[in-house]
Amino acid sequence: MKKAVVVAFAVIAASIVATAAHGGPKVAVASQSVSCSSTLQIAMVTPITGAAGFLGTEQLSWAKYAVSTLAPQMGLKIQLLQGDTPVEQGAAPALTLAQKYAADPKLVGIIGPSTSGDAEASAQTYFHAGIAQISPSATDTPLTYTVNGKRLGTPAFFRDVPANNVEGPTIAAYIANTLKAKNVVVFDFQEPYSQGLAASISSYLTSHGVNVTRLSAPNTTTDYSSYVTKVPGNTNVVVFPTQQPPAAQTFAEQLVEQGKSAVVFGGDGADAPAQFKYPGGYVANFAPDISGIPSDAGIVAGWKKANPTMTLGSFGPPTYGAVQIMLNAIKIACAQGKGTLKSRADVFHNVKKVTIKNWILGGTFKWSTKTNDPLNGHFYIFKIQSNGSYKLVN
Amino acid sequence: MSDRPTPSLSKHYPGESLQFFIQLSLDGLTIGSVYALVALGYTLIYGVLKLLNFAHGDVFMVGSFIGYGVLQALGGASNPVVPVWLLLVLVTLAAMAGCAVLGVVIERFAYRPLRNAPRIAPLISALGVSFFLSNSMQLEFGAQQFNYASYNLSGGALYFHGFDLDHVHIPLLRIITIGSAFALMVVLWFLVNRTRTGKAMRATSFDREAAAMLGIDIDRVIVFTFILGSALAGAAGVMFALRVPTFAAVGFTTGLKGFTAAVIGGIGSIPGAMVGGILLGCAESYTAGYWTTAWSDLVVFSILIAFMIFRPQGLFGRVDIRKV
Amino acid sequence: MSEWLPPETESPEEAVPTTGPAVGRDEWVAREGERRVSRAGWAGTVEERLRRVPWWAWLTLFVAAGSLMPLFESSGYVRLVGFNTVIYMMLALGLNLVVGWGGLLDLGYLAFFGVGSYVYAIFDSAKFGYHVPSILIIPAATIVGALVGLLVGLPSRRLSGDYLAIVTLFFLELFETVATNGNQIFGHDITGGSFGISTVFPLSFAGHTLAVQHNGIFAVSYYYLAIVMFLIVYVALFFVNNSRTGRAWRSLREDPLAAEVMGMPVNWLKLMSFATGAGVAALAGTISTALNASVYPLNFSPVVLITIYAMVILGGSGSQPGVVIGAFLVSVLLQVLQDPGQARVLFYLVIAFGVIAAYRVSVRLAIVAASTAVFGIAAHAIAASFHHSWVDGAHGGLAGVLANWVVVPEQLTPWVGQVAYLFLLVGMLCATQLRGRLRLVALPPTLYLAAFVWENEMIPNPGPARYIVLGLLLIVLMIVRPNGLLGERRVEIN
Repeated sequence: MKKAVVVAFAVIAASIVATAAHGGPKVAVASQSVSCSSTLQIAMVTPITGAAGFLGTEQLSWAKYAVSTLAPQMGLKIQLLQGDTPVEQGAAPALTLAQKYAADPKLVGIIGPSTSGDAEASAQTYFHAGIAQISPSATDTPLTYTVNGKRLGTPAFFRDVPANNVEGPTIAAYIANTLKAKNVVVFDFQEPYSQGLAASISSYLTSHGVNVTRLSAPNTTTDYSSYVTKVPGNTNVVVFPTQQPPAAQTFAEQLVEQGKSAVVFGGDGADAPAQFKYPGGYVANFAPDISGIPSDAGIVAGWKKANPTMTLGSFGPPTYGAVQIMLNAIKIACAQGKGTLKSRADVFHNVKKVTIKNWILGGTFKWSTKTNDPLNGHFYIFKIQSNGSYKLVN
Repeated sequence: MSDRPTPSLSKHYPGESLQFFIQLSLDGLTIGSVYALVALGYTLIYGVLKLLNFAHGDVFMVGSFIGYGVLQALGGASNPVVPVWLLLVLVTLAAMAGCAVLGVVIERFAYRPLRNAPRIAPLISALGVSFFLSNSMQLEFGAQQFNYASYNLSGGALYFHGFDLDHVHIPLLRIITIGSAFALMVVLWFLVNRTRTGKAMRATSFDREAAAMLGIDIDRVIVFTFILGSALAGAAGVMFALRVPTFAAVGFTTGLKGFTAAVIGGIGSIPGAMVGGILLGCAESYTAGYWTTAWSDLVVFSILIAFMIFRPQGLFGRVDIRKV
Repeated sequence: MSEWLPPETESPEEAVPTTGPAVGRDEWVAREGERRVSRAGWAGTVEERLRRVPWWAWLTLFVAAGSLMPLFESSGYVRLVGFNTVIYMMLALGLNLVVGWGGLLDLGYLAFFGVGSYVYAIFDSAKFGYHVPSILIIPAATIVGALVGLLVGLPSRRLSGDYLAIVTLFFLELFETVATNGNQIFGHDITGGSFGISTVFPLSFAGHTLAVQHNGIFAVSYYYLAIVMFLIVYVALFFVNNSRTGRAWRSLREDPLAAEVMGMPVNWLKLMSFATGAGVAALAGTISTALNASVYPLNFSPVVLITIYAMVILGGSGSQPGVVIGAFLVSVLLQVLQDPGQARVLFYLVIAFGVIAAYRVSVRLAIVAASTAVFGIAAHAIAASFHHSWVDGAHGGLAGVLANWVVVPEQLTPWVGQVAYLFLLVGMLCATQLRGRLRLVALPPTLYLAAFVWENEMIPNPGPARYIVLGLLLIVLMIVRPNGLLGERRVEIN
C-alpha cells in the first residue's frame, strides 16, 4: 500500500510537469498577425476569489453575457478568458497574468484590470505588448491623469467610468451643499479604495467648514458595534465607503439601534439595492441604475435569465460597456486590415474611435479628447426610499 | 414601512460619560460571548486531543451559512412562516446539528488517522481542512456577504424592544445573544462536570493512556468532544450572523480570535475560555472606543503576545508537568 | 525533471515484517532493513548506481536544466513563473531550516519575507527618494530580516510547540497591521500604508540598472539572478546542515529535553534557527520586490504562508531536495490549475493514474474503467433526453470530446452544483471506508461525479478550486505520507 502511494505521488508529480510542459504558451511575438475569422481572445482580469470576489464574480457574469450576445451580432468569434487576481495577494497575480497574456498571440484585449493597484502594476507590460486594457472599475486618478509629474497608466489603458477625482468631490459637495451637514464622520477600511475616497472627501469637507471625524477600521473587521458607539450623537452624515453593501446596511441598522440619527452615505461599492436598502441612506455611483433605462430592458432581462441567482449591481454594467467598446475596436481594426489584424496594437489604436449610441449607462458614449476617460464622466447620487428603492437625486 | 424609527433615548454620550462606557461594555460583551463560544470548542478539543483545531473557525462559518439557509427556507426574516422565537430556535438548532455532523466527519477523516502521528501532522491537516472548507463554501456560494436581516424580524422588535440601563438602550437581540451564550456555557459545564461522559472527557484530557487503561472508550470520548465543540461553534455562527453579515472567509479571523480567547483563559480550561472570550471582546471594544481604531488589532495582538510570553498557561490554565 | 527524483526505495515496513520504528529502536536501527534490502535484477543495479550519485551532481543537473529553460521558452509568462518558483524554492529552503531541522513551528515566517521586501522598497524607491545600491541593500535587508527573526525567536525560549506557533502567527498579523497602517506612525509615512510602495527601483549594480522587462517581456536576467541566489542559499544551508550546528538542530527537533540534558545550548540553537530562516526569507523578499517594482501589505497574507507550508510538507520537511521539489510542484500546480485546458488534462491524468496505482493492471481495473464509462454514457443519454441544453455547455478540443460523456449543461442551476458537490464529498469519504466489492461498486459513480464537478464547477472557478485542491492535498498527504516525497522518517517520541 505504502509503495503504491509513493508511486501515485510520483505519477501525480510527473503529470503536473507533463501537463505544464504540454500546455505552456509558446513564443509570443507582439506583432504577429491574426486572422479576424479565427477565434480571438479577450481576458477579464478581476478578483474572482478572495474578499473582493463578489465584485469580480459580478463583472465576470456581465463580461460573459456581453461576449455571448454581442460577438455573434458583430460577426466576431471571441473567447473570454478569466484571470483571477485575489486582492489578498497584492499585485503579483496581475503581473503574472500580464506576462501570460502578452505571450498569447491570439489575445487582443483586456477587460480590466479591475483594481487600480493591479492596473498600475501591469500597465507597462500590456503597453509594450500592444494590448489595450479597458477597465470598468479602476478609478485611481493617476492612471489616466498626470499627477505630480507622474502618470501610472499608459496610452493603452482606458476606463469607461470616471476617476476618483470626480467621485470624492461629487459626494463631498452634495454633503456640504445639499444636505448642509455640520458634523460628518468619514470611515476608511485600511485598503486603497476607501482610503483614497475618504481622504478626498474629508479634505473637501474640511475646506468647506464642515466638522470631520475620521474613523479607520482594519479591513478584517466584521463587527462595527464599537465604531457605531464612537460615532458622536450629533453626527449628520456617516460616509461609509465600504465595498460590502451588507456591511453598510448593518451599520445603518446599528446606528438606529443606538438611537443615532446620522444617515449612511456609501460610495460606489455600497451600491446594491438588494443589500443596502436602509431608508434615508445615500449611495454614489459611476453608473445610474440601469433597470430604469428603457433601452437596457432587454439586456437586463437577458442577463437575469443567464444568472438567475445574482442581483443587479453597479459593477456589472460598465463591464458590459467595456466589452462592447473592445469588440467595436476589434471590428474597426479588422475592417482596416481587411480581415486581418497586422498586430494586436491595431486594436488599441482604434479604441478611441469607438462611440456607442444607446450606451448601457444611458445616453451616448464618447471618449474624452484629453485623457483615456469617458467624456463628461459623471457620478450619480441616489437616495434610498422608504421602500428600499434607489432614487436618483443628483 | 415608516421612515426611521426614533427610540426615545438620549443620543449623545460624550466619550468620558458612564453611558459611553456601558455602551462599549455591551458591545464587548456581545462579540465577546461569540468569541467565548468559539473558544470553548478550541479548548475542549485541545483538552482531549492536544490539537490546535485550525478548522474550528471554518466550522463556525459553515454554521452561520447553515443558519442562513434554514432562515431562508423558513421564509426569510421579513415574513417567516413560524413565530419569531421558534424561528430563532430552529435556526440555531439546525446550525448546531449540522456543525456537529461536520465536526464528527472532520475528526473521523482528517484527524483520527493521525492520532499517533507526529504533533505537526494533525496541525497541518487542520490547516488543510480550514482551507478546504472556506474555499468550498466560496466555490458553492460565492464570496459575497450574506445578511440574516434580523432587523426585519417582526418589524425590528429585536432592535427596539429590550430595556434601558442608565439611558443606554439594551436591545433584545443583544440580550438573546449574550443570554443564550451563557445558557450554552452552563449546559456545557453541566455536561462536562455532572455526567459520566463528561467525567470520561476530563479523564481523557488529563491522561489519555491512563484513561484508556481504565476502560474509557477514547474514540467515543473524542467524537463526543467534537460534537460538543462543533455544535457550540454552530450556535456561535448563528449568534454572530444575527448581528453581522457572514461570508466564506469569515472563519479565519474569528477562529483566530476564538483561539486567542482560549489562550487568554488558559487553553484546556472551560471557565477560562468563557472569561477569555469576554475579556477579548471588551479589550477590542475599549481599545476602539477610548484609544485608537486604526491600531486596535495591533493593541490586541500585542497584549496577546505579552500574555503568551509571560503567562503561557493563561488565567486559569495549569502548568504542564513534563514527564520524561 | 523526473531524473531529479531519487529512486524509489523499499520502505522498511515492507522489507522487514515488523511495523516501522517502535519504542526502543532509533532511526539508525529502523533503517537497517532499508540499507540491506534492494531490488533484485537491473532495477536494483540502477537504483544502487543512482543512489551513489553525489548530491552536488543532482543539484548541478537541476540547476542546469533550470538555466536552459529560457533558451527554449522565450515567453515572459513562463520566465516569470520560473522566477516565482525559484523564489518559492528559496522560501521553502528557509522554512525547512526552521520547521524541518529546528522543529520549530513558525507561522510568522512570511513576515520576514515582508521585512526583506519592505527594507528594499523603503531604501530603493522613488517614494522616499533613497536609491541605495543593490549590492548594499540586499545584504542589509537580509541582516535586518535575520535580526527581526532573532527578536521574534526570543519568546521561543520559553514557549514550545503550539504556543510558539500561535505567537508567531500573531506576529504575522502584527506585521500586516503595521504595514497597513505604516503611513501614519506618529505622523510619519514609513510603509505607504495600504497603498504600498509602488515605485520601487529595479536592481542596479555599479550604476548599471537591470531592467525588469524588455518590450513587455520579462527580462531573463532576474531569472538567472534568482537561480544564482538559490544556488548560494542551497549550498550554504547544505553545509550548515552537515555542521555541528546542523546536527545540534536535528537533535533539538527530535527531543529538545534530551538535547538540553546533553548540554546543548538549546535556546541559542533555537534563536539561530529562527534568525537564519528569517534571513533567507528576507533575501528572497528583496529580489522579489525589485522584480515586482512594488510591495503591498496584502502580499503577506496567511494564504501565501499556507502555500509555502504545503510546499515544505509535500516535498518532505527536513530534506533539502525534497522541499525544492515540493516548491516546484506546488508552484507549477497552482499555475496549471488556473488554465482550463491544463487543469482538465491534469485532472484526468491524475484520476487515471490514481485508479491504476490503486488496482494495478487487473480485472478490477477493467471493471472500474468500463463501468465508469458506461455510467457516464448512461447519465449523458438520460440528461440529453430531457433537453439538449443540458449537455450543450462545452465545445472544442478535449472539452468537446469529453462533453459526449460528462454532462456539461449550458447553464448549471446553482443548487444542482451544490448538491453534486456535497454528494461528491460523501462519495469520496465512503470510497475511503469501503473495501473490496463495495468499493468497486461505489467508485464509478464517485469518479463520474468528480468529473462532473470538475468540469462544471472547478474549471470555471479556478480561484477557490486551486485552494480546495491544495487543502485536500495537505490532508491526504498527512494521512498517507506525513514525511512527504523525500522526507526523513523520524522516530517520534511523545
